[in-house]
Amino acid sequence: MAEGAEDDDPQARPAGQGRLWTRLGLRGRVALLFGLGALVLSVTMGGLSYFSARHFLLADQENGARTEAYAHAQTLDADLAPGTASPGTIAGYVDGVAQGVQSDSVLIYQGSTYDSSFQLGLGDIPASLRVLLRTGTPGTQNFTLDNAPQVAVGVPIPAEHAVYYEVFDVSDLARTLHILALALAAGGLITTVLGFALGRAASARSLRPLAGVSQAAVLVAGGQLDTRLPDASDDPDLKGLTTSFNQMVDRVRDRIEAEARFSSDVSHELRSPLTTLGASMEVLEAHADELSPRARQALVLLSQDLRRFQRMVADLLEISRTDTGSVELALEEVDAGELVRRSVAASSRLVAGEAMASQPGTLDGPAVGPEVRIDPSLAGIRLLVDKRRFERIMANLLENATFYGGGATAVSADRGPNRPDGRPTVQIAVDDHGPGVAPAERSRIFARFYRGQASGRRGAGTGTGLGLALVAEHVRLHDGRVWVEEAPEGGARFVIELPVAAHRPVAESGDVP
Amino acid sequence: MSVRILVVEDDERIRSSMRLALEGEGYDVDETESGEEALDHFAAQAADIALIDLMLPGMDGFECCRALRRQSAVPVIIVTARTDTHDVVAGLEAGADDYVTKPFVAKELGARIRALLRRARPAEDEPKTLTFGDLELLPDQGVLRRKDGEEIHCTRTEFRLLCELAANPNKVLSREQLLDRVWGYDYFGDGRLVDVHIRRLRTKVEPDPALPRHILTVRGMGYKLVP
Repeated sequence: MAEGAEDDDPQARPAGQGRLWTRLGLRGRVALLFGLGALVLSVTMGGLSYFSARHFLLADQENGARTEAYAHAQTLDADLAPGTASPGTIAGYVDGVAQGVQSDSVLIYQGSTYDSSFQLGLGDIPASLRVLLRTGTPGTQNFTLDNAPQVAVGVPIPAEHAVYYEVFDVSDLARTLHILALALAAGGLITTVLGFALGRAASARSLRPLAGVSQAAVLVAGGQLDTRLPDASDDPDLKGLTTSFNQMVDRVRDRIEAEARFSSDVSHELRSPLTTLGASMEVLEAHADELSPRARQALVLLSQDLRRFQRMVADLLEISRTDTGSVELALEEVDAGELVRRSVAASSRLVAGEAMASQPGTLDGPAVGPEVRIDPSLAGIRLLVDKRRFERIMANLLENATFYGGGATAVSADRGPNRPDGRPTVQIAVDDHGPGVAPAERSRIFARFYRGQASGRRGAGTGTGLGLALVAEHVRLHDGRVWVEEAPEGGARFVIELPVAAHRPVAESGDVP
Repeated sequence: MSVRILVVEDDERIRSSMRLALEGEGYDVDETESGEEALDHFAAQAADIALIDLMLPGMDGFECCRALRRQSAVPVIIVTARTDTHDVVAGLEAGADDYVTKPFVAKELGARIRALLRRARPAEDEPKTLTFGDLELLPDQGVLRRKDGEEIHCTRTEFRLLCELAANPNKVLSREQLLDRVWGYDYFGDGRLVDVHIRRLRTKVEPDPALPRHILTVRGMGYKLVP
């Protein structure tokens, strides 16, 4: 378990990183990039405008406040100059000096504090400003009072040993800035959404030809090699894509046709000498008793390897046919039980013949096939198969059992579980009593020329190395599955699962039963 | 009486080995290396059976088969390197009775030859005359004719197939049964043999081969003859 987790993780992690990004799809990614671009742009522009406006407005406000405060301080200076004013008069001066201006004034004169409103006293002026003023330096400071932003200006009046503070309420400016910020943020949001939408629309538009390409690629992958993209030579952006796509399909088709031609040529070229060899060999075998024992032995070796060679060529050609997709199944609807019984009987004869031919001296032994069990539930069940290819499947499995599994012990056919689409299936199992197949080898065993534990053995008692690969290909062509598991009595069990014939095949000529 | 086999094969080595193997089985063998030569040879010395390779230089096997068929009902076995392509069906449509695939086993070829020759001589327990529509079959004479006496030419295999169907009127015969009875094949015989021969027969005995009235297809089961 822990081992499995270790095996899985290193693969899962790097894949997981790019997964979200990849899963967005090209359109999503372009749209997202457009949106992000618009967001960055609007945040930058909005931020710049907000901060420069704020800076300018604040400076302007502060200057105005300072100018006003200095003017009022000057007025008070003049008012206080005679030095004769009573506290009441001074309070009047303070009240009147900033008349008509939205501000509150505080005057410290001869140890007394005069303020123009009840809302604001000396205690509300920021301490740091008061410390500054104590040194006789004028100053300005922003602060908040009851959540309202204020600008306090402190002006010393050295002639009268007085200090004048004026506090301006700048809530209006703050509100303005607030609205500006909101407007800019809203603008940014709209820009971002528009950018996203623009990206999506633009990518959708520019990707439209790609959808055509992908559709064409699907058709090509499905074997329709005459698929071509429409000519786009007047579109400089698409020209390259369509031209190279069409060229690629041309080349793929040429390659496949060349390969198919090659296998057909090979078929003719190899079969001719094999025909001569086979026919001559039969003549020799018919006259084997005229040969010396040594020559007879050589003849046996020759004929064994000739048969093996013939099988190998036949298997190779069949495999190359599946590769080029040129297999034409002669599908017929047949009774499942009868098919299995007949195939096993025919295959056993063939396999027994080959196995015994590999052990000279036992040529005339009886051909004993494995026990065949057809489940009664298969009565009336029909399969749509190419009979002769099915027989090859059984022959290859039985041969495999003979060469690697000490001989097949039983062949059984039974109902399998229904497919996800509800189609019933039939399972055919071939058991042997050999060492079985290790779990790690169970999928590899169907690879071409895979020999596993038998590697190194190349005697007459081994197959062509293509038998199980052909089984896999043929089962796949029949829309079935094949796998290997452990037989109940040990040994290996090869299982073929084929779908039950859904409906009768409709032949093109209409006169095939 | 020995059986004479005409072999048409351009590859000299295959031809020689075939002759050796077939002579070993007790047949007389005439070798020819082209379709043209085969037709000339056949005109001078008729054979009991012809083995024609499909890939021949000049006149190909199909054409040779058609030409031979035009002048004779001699059983023809085509020899092909490819079973999967349309070669087999095309060869059968050109008039061949059966086919073997290279590399063939000489014993199997011998069995095919014997089967073709055997069915050219029908069994004795069959009735003297079988009739359907306006047609008459005389199994012991190998004659198919209209009631007005006009004879219809057909190959021995076509004739034998028609006899099987006509001897079991209104009864469905499966492809396996027909393969067994007419060609001597087991369960794994090629059903295309039956299908193509049925097609060929229909063009000869049906008033409208596209809408057969006598030789009917029973989907999923086989064929039956309705008199």
